[in-house]
Amino acid sequence: MTTCDLLLIGVGGQGVLTIGDLLLRAAFAADVPASFCPTKGMAQRGGFVKVELRIGADGVGPRIGEGGADIVAAMERSEALKGIAFVKPDGSFLLYDHVWEPTGVQLGADTYPSLKDVSDAIEASGARLTVRHPAERPEIDGRPVSANVFLLGALMALPKMAALFAAADVERIIAARWPKSADANVSAFRAGLSVRLASGESLGRSPDRELPLGRG
Amino acid sequence: MKRITTGNEAVALGTLRAGVKVVTGYPGTPSTGCLGHLLTLDLPDRHVEWSTNEKVAFEIAAGAAWAGRRAMCTMKMSGVNVAYDALISVAYSGTNGGLVIYVADDPGVSAGMPEQDTRGFALMSDLPILEPSSPAEAYDLAQQAFELSEAVGSPVFLRLTTAIALSHAAIEVEEPVPPADAGVLLEKDIAKYTKAGSKICLDQHRDLIERLDEAAEWIHKRGLNRLDLSDEPGGLGIVCSGAVNAYLAEGLRATRSEGLPRDPMSILRATTVVPFPAVEARQLLDRCRLILVLEELEPIAERQLAALAQRVGWTGRIVGKLDGTLARTGEYATRDVVRALHEALAGLSSCGGPVRVGERPQAVLLLDDSEDIAVQALPDGLSRAPEAQKAIPANDAEGVAPAPRPITVCAGCPHRGTYLGIEAAIREAGLSEDEVMVTGDIGCTILGMNPPFDLLWTEVSMGSSLGLAQGYVHAGIETPVIATIGDSTFFHGGIPGLVNAIQHSTPLTLVILDNGWTSMTGMQVNPGTDAAFQPKGGRRIDLVRVVEGLGPDSVAVVDPYDVGAVTEAVGAALSAPGIHVVIAQRECAIQARRRGLVAAVVTVDPEKCILCLKCLRVTGCPALSIREGESTGRGELPSGSSPGNGSIEIDEETCTGCGICAAVCPTGALVRTPAEPRALPGEKRPPAGSSRPGKERTV
Repeated sequence: MTTCDLLLIGVGGQGVLTIGDLLLRAAFAADVPASFCPTKGMAQRGGFVKVELRIGADGVGPRIGEGGADIVAAMERSEALKGIAFVKPDGSFLLYDHVWEPTGVQLGADTYPSLKDVSDAIEASGARLTVRHPAERPEIDGRPVSANVFLLGALMALPKMAALFAAADVERIIAARWPKSADANVSAFRAGLSVRLASGESLGRSPDRELPLGRG
Repeated sequence: MKRITTGNEAVALGTLRAGVKVVTGYPGTPSTGCLGHLLTLDLPDRHVEWSTNEKVAFEIAAGAAWAGRRAMCTMKMSGVNVAYDALISVAYSGTNGGLVIYVADDPGVSAGMPEQDTRGFALMSDLPILEPSSPAEAYDLAQQAFELSEAVGSPVFLRLTTAIALSHAAIEVEEPVPPADAGVLLEKDIAKYTKAGSKICLDQHRDLIERLDEAAEWIHKRGLNRLDLSDEPGGLGIVCSGAVNAYLAEGLRATRSEGLPRDPMSILRATTVVPFPAVEARQLLDRCRLILVLEELEPIAERQLAALAQRVGWTGRIVGKLDGTLARTGEYATRDVVRALHEALAGLSSCGGPVRVGERPQAVLLLDDSEDIAVQALPDGLSRAPEAQKAIPANDAEGVAPAPRPITVCAGCPHRGTYLGIEAAIREAGLSEDEVMVTGDIGCTILGMNPPFDLLWTEVSMGSSLGLAQGYVHAGIETPVIATIGDSTFFHGGIPGLVNAIQHSTPLTLVILDNGWTSMTGMQVNPGTDAAFQPKGGRRIDLVRVVEGLGPDSVAVVDPYDVGAVTEAVGAALSAPGIHVVIAQRECAIQARRRGLVAAVVTVDPEKCILCLKCLRVTGCPALSIREGESTGRGELPSGSSPGNGSIEIDEETCTGCGICAAVCPTGALVRTPAEPRALPGEKRPPAGSSRPGKERTV
């Protein structure tokens, strides 16, 4: 079976844990073995957060370890640097270039890396880098859609993920997770996936399970 | 039925399947989710509670088990220290109903506090300890722990580590079983239930040791320790325990795929290292001439294996922690297993060819790090320094490092006002923070050690702020001494320290940061939590009256959002002799917010903001950021912002309107307007008396 070891990193409050939870549920629904292990710092918001997902392999431990991740997805530019040691040399690195400056940076006491600094460091590791920008997110009612669900879409656009389960399966999980805001979240997901479909049209395989989608 | 659970939930569900009657505990990451999960369920025929501390929790569980019921108490490893006084005594007495102590250890320190190995407590108290290596095993072993406990009449430890306790996986779960309707056992037997006299204690000690032997036999018969012997004698032996079992298969695959020799290999996958699986280990010794021991933290299995080897005259070599191959610190992953396998295989090849049956290998047993092991070249990228692999490294290869991200208190946290008030009081007393000892304690309150406060000097254990403060006083410190503690920590372990200070008239100022919740572990109810959230039929303990009842020289109750009032109260305490208690009382901002209680609305007048950054510097509030013309701070540029006109920006979704930033703003650019309680997007009212599953925070 295809396997994928995925490391998600970001800052508490960005919804990194939610991405992990949704993927775990998608794997569960597709009957693919998976383990999801979150590591949080001490703060509810603003601290470093890491999620290790091991999809497709049964009987493996929860931790990925350095040099073991097929995919690293980072939701914050500076924190992304912490993921470089974990990505396989032939792995993929997905950077959502959100900038969340710690107070020390805002006060001028600490420095914050540029996008070029971070991109160069990632590319030096040998991993394939994809950068997605916060401004790519569509707006609904004047507010940009959820960044984490957008990133989840971007993740599902990577071949390694698409080989595990279909984007449509993930959409179904998203819609079930937030029944009241399913449209907005599915839109965020599709924007990340960069696939735009008309209402009712399904994505990928599983044509027998149509998504009851409204317009976002 | 298959369902997604965490390791913690798997223990909870296994316990229900085992027909548990009473579950008690004290929250502590990474164990919190177990009892927290039970509190989300409707369990009319069982009793589940967060107790005041781990000792009380254990005693309740032990009482229920002595009465013939199945009972469990839950805690993080630090809690075992608190419970142990009662635990060792109950270990001597034994139990009637199944009594399980669920402990989550934290190798790698994801949550703070020592890397204490509970297996050491099992060894010290002659109690069996079961170590699941996955959530599925946790579900199964939680049930077997009760069976073992009742089979031998002994309390049993169930030990998970962080990675297993917090990881989510799909496991097969069966229907819960109601507690057995067996009535209450009332057995009057001072020889069993008291320690009255040396004969009783000595007899109990003898019985305790016998029970552990019986447990070893029960575990052996159950086959909980799985031994796979290679058909061919000689070759590598492996003893693997707990979470590391999950990485072993992967490690072996990785090693073989690298083309290393397929030596004959025998593996003992241990679920218990106390009692030590001596029967299986003996077979392993007879078959192998080099044994690799893979276990996180302390060399508990390794030392017992070495002792057994010496006793039976085995002269092979043990590779593990005692010879320096593996680290005693940090958490292991597949990589560590692979590295250890390489070293063991290299050691094996340096020992000569395979041995024949009956032939004694010539290698020397190593019990210390006196011999440098011959190691073959490791594959690229495999570091030999285990410590170097633990922390997530900064990537400085290109000279680029992540920006430091120290953790501070949340937006609207009442503790912010308290700490700013303490700082101001120290200044107004003509003192500097470098000369005033402010002891800290466990929980969210310890965040006062971080910027922008940098106020606290110590963090030791639950309630230690008070004892340490008294020690500094008696040492002869001339400046005033301040102790700080949260409400739950005060109830848990702080009261005896305050009693002691008052009894001995040891002058100090105690600041209790009372936010009404056990917050850092994810908002559990504690004795002081508002009555509306107490368990059904429970009562709230009035913390102020408790303190007043102890008789300090003064008690002041202040609102921490009023920094001036805190400053005044702490200042008065610092300037007067005696024991003074300042109680800074306001509900945790996160909990208040979840119910739509927002103190006020704070807005920015960009025309008045001169970007002096005083608000950011003083409060360090995560809701504040700088909005500049082109570049942005933490958020994306909101529509309608005017490039070039920089100002402070307030994140509406985070701000709870405490107004502390407005109070420090020198130009009146930050304006606080009192607000009606309003519902905030995405926030829900927590159900009364419950914790929030899956929202664990750390202690």
